[in-house]
Amino acid sequence: MTDIAPSPSLGRTRTPEFEARLKQRYAAERRFKALGMGAVIFSVAVLVLLLGTMLVNGLGGFQRTELQVPVDFAQVGLSVPQGADENAIVRSLQGQGLPEVISFSAEQALGPEAAAQINPEAWREVAAAIAADPSLAHGRQTFSLPTSEDLASAYAGDGKADLQPLAQDLAARGLLVDSFDAGFMARSDATDPQLVGIWGALKGSMLTMIVTLLLAFPVGVLAALYLEEYAPKNRWTDLIEVSINNLAAVPSIIFGLLGLAVFLTLFPGYRSAPLIGGMTLALMTMPVIVISGRNAIKAVPPSIRDGALAIGASPVQVVFHHVLPLALPGILTGTIIGMARALGETAPLLLIGMRAFVSTPPDGFTDNATVLPMQIYLWSDQIDRGFVERTSAAIIVLLAFLLLMNGLAIYLRNRFEKKW
Amino acid sequence: MSPAILLFLAIGLGLAGWLVARSRAWRMKREAANGRLAALPVYHAWYAALWIGGPMLLFAAAWNAMAPGLILQHVLGQPAASGLPAFGMRRDAILGQAQDVANGLAATTAIPEAAALVEPFREASMLYGWIGLAVTLLLGLAGAAWAFTRQKPDFAARTRVERGVLVVLFLASLVAILTTFGIFVTLVFETWRFFGMVSPFDFLLGTHWAPDPMANSASPDGSRYGAIPLFWGTIFIGAIIAMIVAIPLGLMSAIYLTQYAPPRLRQWVKPALELLAGVPTVVYGYFAALTVAPAIRDMALAVGISGASSESALAAGSVMGIMIIPLVSSLADDSITAVPQAMRDGSLAMGATTNETIRRVLIPAALPGIVAGIMLAVSRAIGETMIVVMAAGAAANLSANPFEAMTTVTFQIVSMLTGEASLEHPATLSAFALGFVLFIITLALNVVALRVVKRFREAYD
Repeated sequence: MTDIAPSPSLGRTRTPEFEARLKQRYAAERRFKALGMGAVIFSVAVLVLLLGTMLVNGLGGFQRTELQVPVDFAQVGLSVPQGADENAIVRSLQGQGLPEVISFSAEQALGPEAAAQINPEAWREVAAAIAADPSLAHGRQTFSLPTSEDLASAYAGDGKADLQPLAQDLAARGLLVDSFDAGFMARSDATDPQLVGIWGALKGSMLTMIVTLLLAFPVGVLAALYLEEYAPKNRWTDLIEVSINNLAAVPSIIFGLLGLAVFLTLFPGYRSAPLIGGMTLALMTMPVIVISGRNAIKAVPPSIRDGALAIGASPVQVVFHHVLPLALPGILTGTIIGMARALGETAPLLLIGMRAFVSTPPDGFTDNATVLPMQIYLWSDQIDRGFVERTSAAIIVLLAFLLLMNGLAIYLRNRFEKKW
Repeated sequence: MSPAILLFLAIGLGLAGWLVARSRAWRMKREAANGRLAALPVYHAWYAALWIGGPMLLFAAAWNAMAPGLILQHVLGQPAASGLPAFGMRRDAILGQAQDVANGLAATTAIPEAAALVEPFREASMLYGWIGLAVTLLLGLAGAAWAFTRQKPDFAARTRVERGVLVVLFLASLVAILTTFGIFVTLVFETWRFFGMVSPFDFLLGTHWAPDPMANSASPDGSRYGAIPLFWGTIFIGAIIAMIVAIPLGLMSAIYLTQYAPPRLRQWVKPALELLAGVPTVVYGYFAALTVAPAIRDMALAVGISGASSESALAAGSVMGIMIIPLVSSLADDSITAVPQAMRDGSLAMGATTNETIRRVLIPAALPGIVAGIMLAVSRAIGETMIVVMAAGAAANLSANPFEAMTTVTFQIVSMLTGEASLEHPATLSAFALGFVLFIITLALNVVALRVVKRFREAYD
C-alpha cells in the first residue's frame, strides 16, 4: 500500500497540447523579460549617448587653435607705465603700437599669409601678459596666440578650402597647435568662438542662485514649518497646500510670464539683472523646498516633540530647538535638488530678458548678466562651427556643477539622515 | 539714500537693541527679589530687536517703493520742469537721463533740457533721502522706547516673541498663495486685454497663426491669431510622439526594475535614470538639434520621404519622450510597488508565469496610478519649452507628418516675448493668452492626476 500509483489526473494534464502551451508561455515570459531589459538598456544607452556626444564634442571646446609667434621687444622699446592698473597698461601699450609690433613680428617669422590669420584681438593677451610681468616687454618672447576662426576651422579640417594648405604647412612646422585654453573659464561671451569664455555666464549663474537661495530657502522652510507644525485644519490651510502642490507642477515658462508682467513692471530698470532672474527662479524653487521640507519634518518622530513638551518647552521652542535641527539634513537635500533644477532652468529667464549679449562679467546683482544654460542656448544658435565645440564644453561645465550638487545632496542624505 | 543703508541701519539698530535689552534683562534678574524673570533674558533681547528692526524694515521697503514717485512729483513741481513735453518718448528720455546723471550712473547728458533737470533731481533725491532716513530712525527709536518701557521682571517676553514668530511663519506660507494668485491674475488680466483686441473665437478656432509684431496694434487682423495649429503642434509633439516613446520605455523599465532585475542592477540603474531626469532641458534641446534632428532628416531622406526638414516634430518629440522616461518610470514604479504583495503571490501560486501575473494582475491593479503618472508626464511634456524652441521649428503647420517642422504653444510664447515689442501690442499679449491656456490645461491634468493617485493609494493602504 506504500507505493504511490501514478496519478491518473497528472497524466491527463501533461498532454502534448499542454506541453506546447507551456513552451509558448515560457517563450512569452522570456520575450517579456527581454523587452523589459531592452527598455532599461535603451534608456541607459541614450544617457550614455547624450553624455558621450557632449563629452566628445566638448573636449575640443576646452582647446583652441594657437599660433606660436616669436616677438622681439628689445628693438621696439615699449615702456610700461608704473603702478597703473591693467586696463591702463593695455591702453597705453595699444597707443604705443603693440598690435602692429605683433603683426610685424608674425610676418617676419611666419610669412604674411599666416600673420593675417592671427586673431585681431590677440594683442590684448600679449598686453595682459606684459601687464602681469613688465619684464616681458624687454626681451625676446614666443607667445601662443589665438588664430582667426577661419584658420582654426581650416586646421580642424573644414571651413574655407584655400586656408587648408596654409594650416597644414604651419601644423607640419609645429607652429599651429590645439592647446588647452585655460582662458575659457576666465573670459566672457564674444562674437568670435576663439575668444569666448564662460566666466561671465558662470558668475551670472552664481549671483542668480544666491538671490534664489536667499529668497526661497527661508520662505520655503518657514512655510513648511507652519504647514507641518502649526497650521490648523481648515479651508485656508487647504488652499495653501493646494497652491503649493500646483506651483510645483506649473510649467516653468509660466513663471517667466509672471516675472515679466510683475517684476519687470515693478523694477523696469533691472531687465536681465540677476536680481530679477533670481526672484523668478525663487518662486519656482520655493514649492520644491516646501514639499521636501514637509517630508523631512514629518519624518521626525512625534516622541521627540512630546518629550520636549513634557519638560516644559513651548511649541515654538519644540520646533526651533528640536524638530528643525533634526529635519535640517532632509530640508537641505531638498533645497540642493531644487537649486540644481533652478541652475539648469532656461525658459523663464528667456522671457525676462536674460538673453543679452554680456561681454563683461556682472559685478553685482543689478548688472546685466546671463546664466550658464542661457549661454548654452545663445551659443547653440550661432552659425559658426567653432561654437559647436564651445557649446558642448559649456554643457560639460554645467553638467559637472549639477553632478556636484546632486552628489552633495546624496552625501548629505546618507551621512546625516536618521532612520527612526 | 540707497536702500542698502536703510537695511543696514535697521539691522544695526536691531542688533544694538538686542544687546542692550539682554544686558538690561540680566541686570534686572540680578536685582530681582527672587532672582528670577518671567522670561529668559534672550527673549527680552529678541522682543526689543523685533520692535526696533521690524518697523524700520517695513518702512524701508515701503519707502523704497514710494520714493521714486515722490522725487518725480517734486521735480515736476519745480519751474525748471515746466518746459517738458507733456508725454511721449522724449519726455521719458529727458527724465531718465537727468535722473541717471543725478544718481551718478552717467557722467553727462547730451540733452540740454535734461541737464537743466539734473540739479532739481539731485536736490529732490537728497531731500527725500534725508526724510526717509529720519523717519526710519524715528521709527527705530520709537520701537526702542516702546520695547524698553515694557521691559519689567514680570514681563512675559517669550509669549510675545513667539506670537511674532508665528505671524512670520504664517506670512511665509502665504507667499505660495500670493504666487498662485499673481500668476492667475496676471494671465487673466493680460488675456482679457488680448481678447479686447482679438476675438476669442478667432483665437481658439482659427487655423492660421502669423501674428505680425510690426502691424498697427490698434486694429489687429484677427484671422492671423488662430491658435489651432499651435495646439495641434503641442499635442502632436508633447502628447503623441513623446508619449509613444516614453510610455512603453518608461513602463517596461519600471516593470523590469521592480519585478525582474536583481537588486544590484536596480541599485545602479535607478540612479542612472534619475540622472537622466536631472539633465537640464537646454542640454536635451541641444542634443535634439545637434544630433537627433539631422539623423532623423537623413534617415527620412534615405527612405524617400521628401519634405523632411532639419527641424522636425519627430526630433523634438522623441527627445522629449526620452526626457520623460524617468518620470513615467518612477511613477509607474511607485504604483506597481503599491499593489499588495498578496495579490502577486496569489497569482503566482495559481501557476501563472511572472509576465502573466504582471499583465493580468499587477498592471490592472496599478492602472489608475499609471494613468495618473502618464497624465503628469503629458502635462510636463506640453509645458516643456527649450527642446521645442531649439528643435521643433517656428512654422505653424497643421499637418500629421512628423518629419515636418511644427511649432508649439511654448515656442510661440518665447518668440512673441523675446523681441523688443511693448506689452501693448496684441502679438505680445497673445503670449499671455497662450500661457493662460497652457496654465489651465496643465493645472487640470495635475489636479485630476493627483486626485487619482490619492484615491488609489487610499484603496490599498
